[in-house]
Amino acid sequence: MGRGPQQSVPVFCVGRRLLRPLQREDALLHVIAPAILFTLLVSGGVGVALALPRAGRMPQVVGAATAGLAGGLLILAMTIRAGADAPNVYFYIFSAIALGAALRVITHDRPVYAALYFVLTVISTSGLFLILSAEFMAFAMIIVYAGAILITYLFVIMLATQAPEEEDVEVLADYDTTAREPIAATVAGFLLLAVMTVMMLHGTAGLQKPLPVEPNALLADMPRKVESSLRNHGMMDTGDQIAIDETTGKLMIDGVKGEIVIKMESGLTATLKRDEWPSDLRVKNVEGLGFDLLRNHPGTIEIAGVILLMAMLGAVVLSRKQVEMDEDAKAAQSRQLSERRLSDPGAAAIGRGPGGGE
Amino acid sequence: MNTLLLGSTLAQSGFPAPMSEITLAHYLVVSAIMFTLGLIGFLTRRNLIVMFLCTELMFQASGIALIAFSRFHLLYTGQTFVIFVLTVAAAEAAMALALVVLLFRRKESLDAEAWKDMQG
Repeated sequence: MGRGPQQSVPVFCVGRRLLRPLQREDALLHVIAPAILFTLLVSGGVGVALALPRAGRMPQVVGAATAGLAGGLLILAMTIRAGADAPNVYFYIFSAIALGAALRVITHDRPVYAALYFVLTVISTSGLFLILSAEFMAFAMIIVYAGAILITYLFVIMLATQAPEEEDVEVLADYDTTAREPIAATVAGFLLLAVMTVMMLHGTAGLQKPLPVEPNALLADMPRKVESSLRNHGMMDTGDQIAIDETTGKLMIDGVKGEIVIKMESGLTATLKRDEWPSDLRVKNVEGLGFDLLRNHPGTIEIAGVILLMAMLGAVVLSRKQVEMDEDAKAAQSRQLSERRLSDPGAAAIGRGPGGGE
Repeated sequence: MNTLLLGSTLAQSGFPAPMSEITLAHYLVVSAIMFTLGLIGFLTRRNLIVMFLCTELMFQASGIALIAFSRFHLLYTGQTFVIFVLTVAAAEAAMALALVVLLFRRKESLDAEAWKDMQG
């Protein structure tokens, strides 16, 4: 009789742990009401499913408008709840452009335009990075993505597209104008989105705010920057030096306390407090990022280098390979050629290529 | 209203004041929506090039989430990881596009369905 309750306790605990996310609905309510969230997710899903290309049988604009409206209302509903905690107004501009362009990437039936809309997404994402005070990553994103990767994509699109015949209007390929399983894919995608948003909104509500850190703590590792900045602003004369702590042997730059001790030529020392520092004496985003990258993740950089090298080798090996055209494709091409010859014997007699005539 | 104070949270340097978790939730929702759009695009589009474009869209979304967390926790590691995401994206683009050109030369078509007879 004594064992009964003992056994039931762990079961009860497990049950309660499973139920706890459901009970903590206030966390979700804090950001957005669940009913609004799910309604908007469903209407957004319907919109995206309608906006996907279906050989012109559907009004894509209606779908895109529905999806855009749902996305906008979702962010708006969150903002109304957020009140004073709402993000910067630039956040709304950049995320609206980014998401709208992302929708166009997946719905546009011409690959070149999809690639160009992707550039727009990259640029507005960089705007979001700027708001999040990640200046280096914002510009790296534009340079690497918009400048390098997208140009490669555009080249491949140009290389791997059949040139349109001269006489007929440009016909879009069937595989560009018809989506594959649009409804099933949208349902799967928006189920994932629902799970992700609910988890994220629950999770962020319970996050501890971090302690405010002193970004200038890194100044102790940049004595030359400190020295040149002080010299440029006339706070150190030619004979002056930054004092060295005799017990530790380190330069006396304390970014956390905000003190720099200078040993003057006469032998006296002077302490510069933070409010006396020149305005450019602070750790910039690139400097902090560089310290984190090279000091905390040196092995990862090596691995990244190896990945890039392997990708380069792989690309070279793949593109050097001579490819025999597939039998079916060969047959299809010869059939196409003979059909053209039948329909226009004159052109065939002059030459095969469209520009082969005069 | 705080939203209308233009540039009030635009950083001048380093890390400014801590960000509230509700602001973080906004960025995470944008990131999740963009990831989902990329996923749906990858599943539905049949053009091989556009499919790989959609994977880049998903990389972008993960970048937004990483940098938003980096800003929230006032740590640089999130930004460092976006550099590695960028590396992987560049490597993936190079390999994938070489492969796409190879596949195109073989079938004279960019249709992913043209390769549905492959096993495995």
